[in-house]
Amino acid sequence: MADTAGWRERAEETALLWALVAIVAILSLLPLARLLFEGVAPGGRFSTAALSSVLSSATTWTAARHSILTACGGTVLAVLIGATVAVLVGLTDIRGRNAFVFCFVLPLMIAPQVVALAWLQLFGPSSTLLKMIGLAPAMGSRNPLYSAEGIILLLGVQYAPLVFLTLRAGLRTLPQELLEAGLAAGAKPLTILRTIVLPLMTPPLVAGIALCFVSCLGNFGIPAFLGIPGNYLVLPTLIYQRLAGLGPSVLSEVAVLSCLIGFIAVLGIFLQDLMLRRRDFRITTTSNAMRPFELARWRPAVEIALWILTIVVLVLPLIALLLSSLVPAVGVPLTVQSATWSNYDYVLFDHAAAKRAFVNSFSLSATAAIAIVLVAVPLAYFLVWRRSRLLRLLNLVTEMPYALPGVVLAIAAILLFLKPLPVLGLTLYNTVWIILFGYLARFLVLGLRPVIGGYYQLDRTLEEAAQIAGARLLRRLTTIILPLVAPMAIAGALLVFLTAFNELTVSALLWSSGAETLGVVVFSFQQGGDSTYAAALAMLTVAVTIALMLSTLLTGKPARGVLPWRG
Amino acid sequence: MARLIVDRVTKTFGAFRALDEVSLDVSDGEFMAILGASGCGKTTLLRQIAGFDKLDGGRIVIGDTVVSEVGQHVPPERRRIGIVFQSYALWPHMTVAENVAYGLTVAGVRDPERARRVEAALALVELKGYAARRPSQLSGGQRQRVALARCLVTEPSLVLLDEPLANLDVHLRASMEDEFARFHARTGTTMVYITHDQAEAMALADRIAVMDSGRLLQVATPSQLYREPADATVAAFIGEGIVVPAEVVEVDGRGRCRVDLFGLSVGMRCAPAQRPTRAARACLRAGNLAIVGAGAAGIGARVVRAVYQGGHFRIEAQLEHADGVLVHLTAAEPCRLAPGDAIRLAIDDGWVLPASDESVAVAATPPGLRPRPDDDAAATGADR
Amino acid sequence: MNYLLRGVWLAAALVSMLAPLSAQAQAPKGKLVLYTSQPERDATQTTTAFKQAYPGIEVEVFRSGTTEVMGKLAAEFAAGAPKADVLLIADAASMEALKRDGRLLAYPEAKVAGLAAGTYDADRTYFGSKLITTGIAVNTAAKNRPASWADLAKPENKGQIAMPSPLYSGAAAIMLGTMTARSDLGWAFFEKLKADEAVAVRGNGAVLTAVASGEKPYGVLVDFMAFNAKAKGSPIDFIFPAEGVPAVTEPVAMLKTTQNPAAARAFIDFILSDEGQKLALSMGYIPARASVGTPSWLPPGTVIKLMPTDIGNVVQNNSANLKRFSELFGN
Repeated sequence: MADTAGWRERAEETALLWALVAIVAILSLLPLARLLFEGVAPGGRFSTAALSSVLSSATTWTAARHSILTACGGTVLAVLIGATVAVLVGLTDIRGRNAFVFCFVLPLMIAPQVVALAWLQLFGPSSTLLKMIGLAPAMGSRNPLYSAEGIILLLGVQYAPLVFLTLRAGLRTLPQELLEAGLAAGAKPLTILRTIVLPLMTPPLVAGIALCFVSCLGNFGIPAFLGIPGNYLVLPTLIYQRLAGLGPSVLSEVAVLSCLIGFIAVLGIFLQDLMLRRRDFRITTTSNAMRPFELARWRPAVEIALWILTIVVLVLPLIALLLSSLVPAVGVPLTVQSATWSNYDYVLFDHAAAKRAFVNSFSLSATAAIAIVLVAVPLAYFLVWRRSRLLRLLNLVTEMPYALPGVVLAIAAILLFLKPLPVLGLTLYNTVWIILFGYLARFLVLGLRPVIGGYYQLDRTLEEAAQIAGARLLRRLTTIILPLVAPMAIAGALLVFLTAFNELTVSALLWSSGAETLGVVVFSFQQGGDSTYAAALAMLTVAVTIALMLSTLLTGKPARGVLPWRG
Repeated sequence: MARLIVDRVTKTFGAFRALDEVSLDVSDGEFMAILGASGCGKTTLLRQIAGFDKLDGGRIVIGDTVVSEVGQHVPPERRRIGIVFQSYALWPHMTVAENVAYGLTVAGVRDPERARRVEAALALVELKGYAARRPSQLSGGQRQRVALARCLVTEPSLVLLDEPLANLDVHLRASMEDEFARFHARTGTTMVYITHDQAEAMALADRIAVMDSGRLLQVATPSQLYREPADATVAAFIGEGIVVPAEVVEVDGRGRCRVDLFGLSVGMRCAPAQRPTRAARACLRAGNLAIVGAGAAGIGARVVRAVYQGGHFRIEAQLEHADGVLVHLTAAEPCRLAPGDAIRLAIDDGWVLPASDESVAVAATPPGLRPRPDDDAAATGADR
Repeated sequence: MNYLLRGVWLAAALVSMLAPLSAQAQAPKGKLVLYTSQPERDATQTTTAFKQAYPGIEVEVFRSGTTEVMGKLAAEFAAGAPKADVLLIADAASMEALKRDGRLLAYPEAKVAGLAAGTYDADRTYFGSKLITTGIAVNTAAKNRPASWADLAKPENKGQIAMPSPLYSGAAAIMLGTMTARSDLGWAFFEKLKADEAVAVRGNGAVLTAVASGEKPYGVLVDFMAFNAKAKGSPIDFIFPAEGVPAVTEPVAMLKTTQNPAAARAFIDFILSDEGQKLALSMGYIPARASVGTPSWLPPGTVIKLMPTDIGNVVQNNSANLKRFSELFGN
């Protein structure tokens, strides 16, 4: 009798666990394994030639050094900006909070190369904006962004919203009494911040840091724009360089370099694990959320500073983009006479692929976001609360497809899915489905890390109480755990959607007629010298995303804290 | 209604034995308290009974079903028990009614039956009208009652309570104790009550199981525990017993004996099987001591502290010629004793501790100051 | 005799009816997969025109940068199931590499009459479709107008030059190989460019943006891009330097593993035909067949001095050249 009673529960849990293992293995392990195989056994014959030539080349190690440098620098900057903003928005009484969050998160959905281009134009002698206000630097002067510092600056600005999103969701669970205890002890607000808030916020913060580091490591667009002119190589651009070369062993060299990136990413993850182990961050009280600190006379200054930040980070690049989308050709100064809608006309009406690209990108990103969160919640359950060795290994592995340059993941996908699937006979190649696979594999970690951070803040007795009430695992996951990690899960879903919407490097190799994505279309415009079309399409993308985000304000009352820019 | 049988249950975390062959038998409808200081293993035992952890040895039987055994484990969802957690564990995203109704929803009970039972449960804990509130809007005592209602609405055969009153203030505690007592009388549910507070345990329980360092020391009625502790640890833990070395001079075979205590001859209670011996120990209570005048029979002592406690004083004194043994007693107000004063103490009764294998030299240090192995890590443990 | 006449007339009628049928039965049809690195607009126009000429063929296009196209091809080769039938990519160096790997299928019957010598492979594996020269682009507001490559590399243009990086662009790699092989330019030319702090950006598109926007008033750029931008109003001018211009031919080829050789040959025919060449002309390129005409932006009577390119040599020395370039322009 007892046997059958327990058997059903165990079977359910084991089945769920193995299903998750299979999903992660297919999405994360398979591409990696295929790449490794290509690295040491190109064309089926074992050979360490690629391995030795890559590892013995000085360029490899220079690029690796640069990669680590820019990744660390970008992460530090992103954390400084993102954490400060999160604390100010979450714990103080500044006004216009929701509008500000909305604007701060927006840059996440602009593709990195668009950001790089906009900033370059902004600070260059051709800057339409600067020309308009007469502050354009002299023609031919060196653009200060073409440097390691420029790369770090842009990486930090690009990924600050990432840290912000994860940290803000975590701050929502901070109860009033923990901070009031500190105030009662006589601590000043800054001390409370340092000694109570930040330590308790370690899980979401570390999740944000880890994501940020890996994002910076694998970022291609920004070093491509800013590093190539000065030949400042990082590993992703080095890989691209190898691909552009003409040797027969191109793929295996690329595979070896990719593994190097993966290795560096793994080191970052070990650090994250180390920081979260053996410390208790659980918050067990269910009191109201924090009443904000009052800024009193500092408030206007802080608000102004925040809005200046927004203007610099978001508005200026967008304006630069807008202005270049209104000129008929590159370099034509923008005047009332020269302004034209012809670029928008072309993109919207004459160019069939652009319209398809909107639909494709939207569906792919939304599907990926939802699917990933549905996988992430039960996966994080096992990772955080069951702690099997197998799962911890898989946890590391999920980072890989995100850390690798998109072009490499695309190559792995091609290698895997070129031929029809073994049993089913379906061909994914040259359909939207292979792009979906690429997105799922690449962005799984974006959805997973915030959710893991959320679990660390959850008190397990809440689940145990549900167990005692008779609820089985699936029911507990849906009725108890999901609502409690919802803020972090939504943060993750948002991250996935926004990143996938503008994604370029993976789709560039996987798209086919009818399966274009927005990033691909913008890219081809840019490459063909049609940067005005590219700017117009990028502006349309921004407009559509803003519309989508605004539409969430019209829906009914969601649970508190689900969307960062609502209440 | 279930009997709970805990049969030589062992649980180790690495090298640390959190539970060491604990055996306990809770009868149908009994209110059993498990009493011990922090880290003694009572929470670990509760988690074993609930099914959150797997045991390493022994077995647990609820009713007729073996729920835990090495190689067999009925998951908590299937054990049909209720738990009131120390932190209440109310789900913040649900209303009070939804919290209470959860177990019924899981079992497939629908409205109007479900609504009726929820309302009945809320009425039972006197929270009618609070159904639509959220946990964050309730006070500690109210949350506690919601947790109780949630536990009871599914009519479990066994209810476990994990230090439920630990987070409440003194007045609330008193009224909640009443609540539990009344509830138990009304429903006759078997209840296992974990606590470190002996007053609570004594007030509520039919029997008390005293645990220390993963072992069960004594299971007895409150009165028995108080009057006849099984060993020095229990003696010191319950009612702040004073354990002193004594020499049993003569026994009468029926539970009374004559004892020589630092030269003073005292009549004490003892086990019927007690034999005369030089190396016995006796347990004294504060009530057994009294201050007498200089000429009366007694032991000399020097006052260490005199603490006012509202209507009476607690006097702590050090016995002279007795290796510095510390005792304490109560003296009515007014009392003009000050530290350093010499007094004379008379002893009118005591209990001779049965001989055991324990070779711990017991100075009468109060429990809580005695060093315990640091097993916080064990309580939180890898599986938690 | 009536019957005989009638019979002949009937036979003739039958034959005349059957002839188009058989011609149709011989017309290539089915699916054709094209991988190209042409700009988006050009790719669309080419495939549309081709479909009009050969209505029975359905064309699937993959369009991306040359690097991406070659990367995709490499992955498909490695996985053992290449999908492409025909390639139309920017530079002959990549084609040559594919030829050396034995990936291309020769088409000896291709109609190469009238094509400039050196624009198609001697073994007829790939054929240049147009002539894209690389010259000097200047912003109209720039101080100087360099008339030759040597002028461009003068110290007075310091910090104001952009060029496409051969590390990322096959066309630029050909330019590098061609110019370093010349005695009047050689590596000294690039060393002077380096001394002038010339910036090597990723691709011609980036050079156009840099020059037209004025960020770098002088650039090394392909002709059609400069002229198309100028036609739309960009403040940019194109100069054919005195020493001559290196050219890429945007070759077309078919893969050995093609699933539809008939359609592939039809595509090559189309590209090399007068119709295809006129199309290239209308898109703003110099056609490979000179008799078709010259684009409107080319002043009539201009003689383009082409630098000869030994493509085999270029491919041979490519990795050494790239390495030297990379070291020269510093990490």
